[in-house]
Amino acid sequence: MPSFILNERLIHTDERPGMVLLEFVRDVTCLSGTKEACREGECGACTVLVGTRQADGGVAYKACASCLLPIGDVDGCHVVTVEGLSGESLTLVQQLIVEHSASQCGFCTPGIVLSLTGFCLGSPKLSYDDAIDALDGNICRCTGYVSIRNAARALCERLAGAAADPAQRLAALVAAGVVPGYFGAIPEQLAQLHAAPAQAVQGAVLVAGGTDLFAQRPEQLLESDLCFLSARCDLDYIRVDGEVLRVGGAVTIEDFRRSEPVRKHFPGLPEDLLRHSSTILRNKATLTGNVVNASPIGDATIILLALDAKLVIETAGGARREVRLENFFQAYKKVDLACGELVSEIVIPLLPAGARYHFEKVSNRAMLDIAAVNSALRLTSAPDGSIADLRISAGGVGPVPFLLGGLEAFRGKKLTPETVDAIAKSAESAAKPIDDIRGAAAYKKLLLGQLMRAHFAPAVVEAV
Amino acid sequence: MRNEDTTMHVRGTSQFVDDIPVSAGALHAVLFTSPVARGKIRSLDISKAAAAPGVAAVYTYRDVPGLNQVGHMMKDQPLLAVDSVEYIGQPIALVVAETQRAARRAMRLIEADIEKLEAVFDPREAAAKGMIHGKKRMLVSGDPDAAFARCAHVAQGRLASGPQEHFYFETQRALAVPGEHDTIKVHASAQSPGAFHHHLAEVLGIPMHKVELDIRRLGGGFGGKESTAVWIVAPAMAAFLLKRPVKLVLERNDDIATTGKRHAYEYDYKLGLDAEGNILAYEVTLFQHAGACADISPAVLGRSFLHASGSYRIPNIRVTAVSCRTNIPPNNAFRGFGVPQGTFAIEAALTRAAEVMGVEAEMVKRRNLLRDGDTLPYGVTLSEVNAARCWETLDKKTNLAARRAAVAAYNKAHTDTKKGLAVVPVCFGISFAQMALNQASSLVNIYVDGSVSVSTGAVEMGQGVNAKIRVIAARTLGINVDKVRVDTTNTSRIPNASPTSASTGADLNGMATKFACEKLYARLQEFAARHFKAAGPASVQIRDENIFIDGKAEALTWEKFVAAAQWARVDLSEHAFYATPNLHYDMETERGRPFAYYSYGASLTEVRLDCVRGTYKIEAIDIVQDAGESLSPAIDLGQIEGAVIQGMGWATMEQLRYGADGRVLTGVNAYKVPDIKFCPKRFDVTLLKDSSNPYAVCNSKAIGEPPFVHGLGAYLALCNALRSVRRDKDAPSLPVTPEKAFMYLHGPAQ
Repeated sequence: MPSFILNERLIHTDERPGMVLLEFVRDVTCLSGTKEACREGECGACTVLVGTRQADGGVAYKACASCLLPIGDVDGCHVVTVEGLSGESLTLVQQLIVEHSASQCGFCTPGIVLSLTGFCLGSPKLSYDDAIDALDGNICRCTGYVSIRNAARALCERLAGAAADPAQRLAALVAAGVVPGYFGAIPEQLAQLHAAPAQAVQGAVLVAGGTDLFAQRPEQLLESDLCFLSARCDLDYIRVDGEVLRVGGAVTIEDFRRSEPVRKHFPGLPEDLLRHSSTILRNKATLTGNVVNASPIGDATIILLALDAKLVIETAGGARREVRLENFFQAYKKVDLACGELVSEIVIPLLPAGARYHFEKVSNRAMLDIAAVNSALRLTSAPDGSIADLRISAGGVGPVPFLLGGLEAFRGKKLTPETVDAIAKSAESAAKPIDDIRGAAAYKKLLLGQLMRAHFAPAVVEAV
Repeated sequence: MRNEDTTMHVRGTSQFVDDIPVSAGALHAVLFTSPVARGKIRSLDISKAAAAPGVAAVYTYRDVPGLNQVGHMMKDQPLLAVDSVEYIGQPIALVVAETQRAARRAMRLIEADIEKLEAVFDPREAAAKGMIHGKKRMLVSGDPDAAFARCAHVAQGRLASGPQEHFYFETQRALAVPGEHDTIKVHASAQSPGAFHHHLAEVLGIPMHKVELDIRRLGGGFGGKESTAVWIVAPAMAAFLLKRPVKLVLERNDDIATTGKRHAYEYDYKLGLDAEGNILAYEVTLFQHAGACADISPAVLGRSFLHASGSYRIPNIRVTAVSCRTNIPPNNAFRGFGVPQGTFAIEAALTRAAEVMGVEAEMVKRRNLLRDGDTLPYGVTLSEVNAARCWETLDKKTNLAARRAAVAAYNKAHTDTKKGLAVVPVCFGISFAQMALNQASSLVNIYVDGSVSVSTGAVEMGQGVNAKIRVIAARTLGINVDKVRVDTTNTSRIPNASPTSASTGADLNGMATKFACEKLYARLQEFAARHFKAAGPASVQIRDENIFIDGKAEALTWEKFVAAAQWARVDLSEHAFYATPNLHYDMETERGRPFAYYSYGASLTEVRLDCVRGTYKIEAIDIVQDAGESLSPAIDLGQIEGAVIQGMGWATMEQLRYGADGRVLTGVNAYKVPDIKFCPKRFDVTLLKDSSNPYAVCNSKAIGEPPFVHGLGAYLALCNALRSVRRDKDAPSLPVTPEKAFMYLHGPAQ
């Protein structure tokens, strides 16, 4: 029976753990401020904040799409809807949206309020660019965003300096009128709320974030037994271990993206993952979920393939085995993972000396869209500038995400235009795309070849 | 003056249809729709659905109490299909159950045996087969054939523009609550109170005075809730038959798949210039991809037709237009109502003609811009033309020549990226092209506590019409805006209202409100003259909630003053009516004065194209828009920004794909509309100074739709960049998706 705090109210409910939070807040608790507009995490109208108790006793708040968030997954959390923000007076975020006329029909507005509030609570820096990143999952069909940008800019100006120290952030935000005072008492209340320990149920569906599962088959999941990876606190770690980065199976894309080791060892990757999905999805989606999903076009998968990642797989009995990611995908949506097994860790080799990583993705909309074609590269150069090692992954051009074969042939070659051309030709011939909603086969085939050219000249080929 | 609703929007307390508390006995309805684009219904088995858990009823056309018809302009659209279906998504049965989930589960148990018949999805094919809605229209002015013979430069070819999904955030929905005496109250997300009121009564088979349609606000409309009444009438029918409240809320993907869109068009054009670049002749045929029913398509086509000459002086012209009947869901209104399509053709044609002539498009456009004394193809001679003033203001602001030179220099220096630029002038006729719709009424009540309520036929959908009406009422009565509340749009208070569309919401309803307030003001002046024993009504003035007699304030406050008036038996309620004067149009001769006035604008769009990947960024847009004397600059700026980004979405990323069977393949995860990072870094809007407009309320100008046309700049600027790379084939059709840009760059020549 999920228990959590919804705004200021303690909730114990016997609704099914697979009921999504959006349905729960609207239909069960009759809070209608959270809006339903797409049910697939594509629009942000249903954004809520989910506060999770941290080891230090504090609460970390993240904006999430409530339409894809089962209530079983907020067990022990503080859930904040728009009703939990303002009392008599408007919060600072709300005031600024009003002052800048950053709302027209109003249907998307509560979601925007929550995303900006989540930004104030959770963003390491309160910069304008980070505020815009925080709004990357909130679509508005009326305003054209200019007024929303103005409100976000004003917010950052108002908070400049006020809340620089993360430890003092909450108190500063209460003082600045961004969140109400009762937030201060939430850590204590959550400590009292004993979340049920994760129980392994035979045949339960393992939810590793659920942002795709709950878009694909919500009705079925409503009836299913569920097991939430987020409850496995032991799998929530990112650490450097010798020459590899070890990433626990419960790590979200956003935590991975922002982590110190990733920023240090994989420059460019944090920025690339902004294109994986929106903030409200990355806050919930996991790396392992993206891999096991086995989409031929998963951005994280494509990146990990090029980086030569390995998966540590835990069997139901507790045994462990390792699989190289490139061997994990067997056929369309078919992977080397038996019933009851879970990916407990992803092992990513740090970049060898002389190596660089690069990611390319083309989608219809630059952000928050599924790629037509994506590709990642790990290129290790010899001291003389010739190719020492080359790994290139390709997505959207076959039934599974895969590594281009035969690249050993390029070892020792200088990166001349002829070499790049040969790699592009080899990539094009390896591509077996189909016509689908992301583009025609002929387009995707040619595009993969062009992305090879972009890989090898990222400084010259300036992405627009 | 801002839109006061925003203080509720940020709190999430604004009530949309699905937020209205309903009693425990409320039911939920879903539609079972056709899986076949064209076919004959051999049999329909609803028995399993009817017996499913939680189901209250399953209805087919046999259960419709009144007329089984929701056709908007023509009676060609049954609410529930009888024996044939004409598009995928056409409603066949209505399932009503305790919960939406139960209704949806039961709906899947319906079995329909439908014999598939050959369907048509190509508008040109439909036109060739004579499958059209209404009749073919043709407008000829001057002698185009003779003029073409004199042209130094001629451009001709084919063009196409794609459909656009409204993507209003609040999907189609309504809540119907039955009342005593076979009455019914319907809360709906709808733009057409009068027409939908009529549809409701007809389908239920009861007089209109038994139906009350109430509209608080829309979570976005953009035209998509103007003409197709299916999703409002269906739950009302169920509520009427079951005597229980019934709600219907369309799921997003059903909304995308089954509701109307902005019409895709195909075009054949021929444009001729003299040696100096003056337009001599233009010939264009518009093939409108209308869908299976007429809906409002002929009216949309009419507007494309009347705007075929864009912002230009074209002495010899022949415009032909057909609304093509194809087997897709009937398309309907979308912000701009055909004007973006009509304008697209002339803009693309003129750009091509400039290429043929070997000059920049701006040069040809500027030369041919409309000016005072020019006559439009349908016979209107223009005055107060602001086309050139907008262009010059834009030029002063941006230095067009310098920007063009900078683009040329950039392109010379770069091979992997290219820049493109386009200037788009806008000339947009304001009024409903359908004469009868240019009317509105307003009911203003002053209560004894001094508060004022206003009811009009205008529907608030975020465009701020209620805020503008409040300003008009407060100004006219001489009181503060916080005294005025604009009530819901309700057919019992305001009957037979026109839709809120054609950018006329504030023009028409604002004027009616002004009239009503003026009558009340005059009545209060008379009363004050008696009460204060003044020389006459003319010596009374009400200002800032004070009563002045011969310029001297009386001690009586507004509140006390109106209470005294009521006690003295003065009527404090007034209804007024406004019909736009001097409009006329003859469809036989295609001549007349269909618009009260014109809204002008000009914009400069600049893009950067990534030639390696085929991707692009709209980097900057500068806009000059003529809003007359703006009633609210904050609201008008928001309308401009929103419309422009929507137009850019249409021109770039918004695309729908259809399967070979006519099915919409694009769901919400693939239909991409602009996001915050798409919005150009530089987005600069200037409202044209010293513009006045005697033809609309308080000298303002309509603002909802005209700026949408600036979105065409994104298309034209992208084509400009693409054609700096190669010209061995035609420019891509609209929208220029990254896929199309890429294939233009890297695909084969023509």
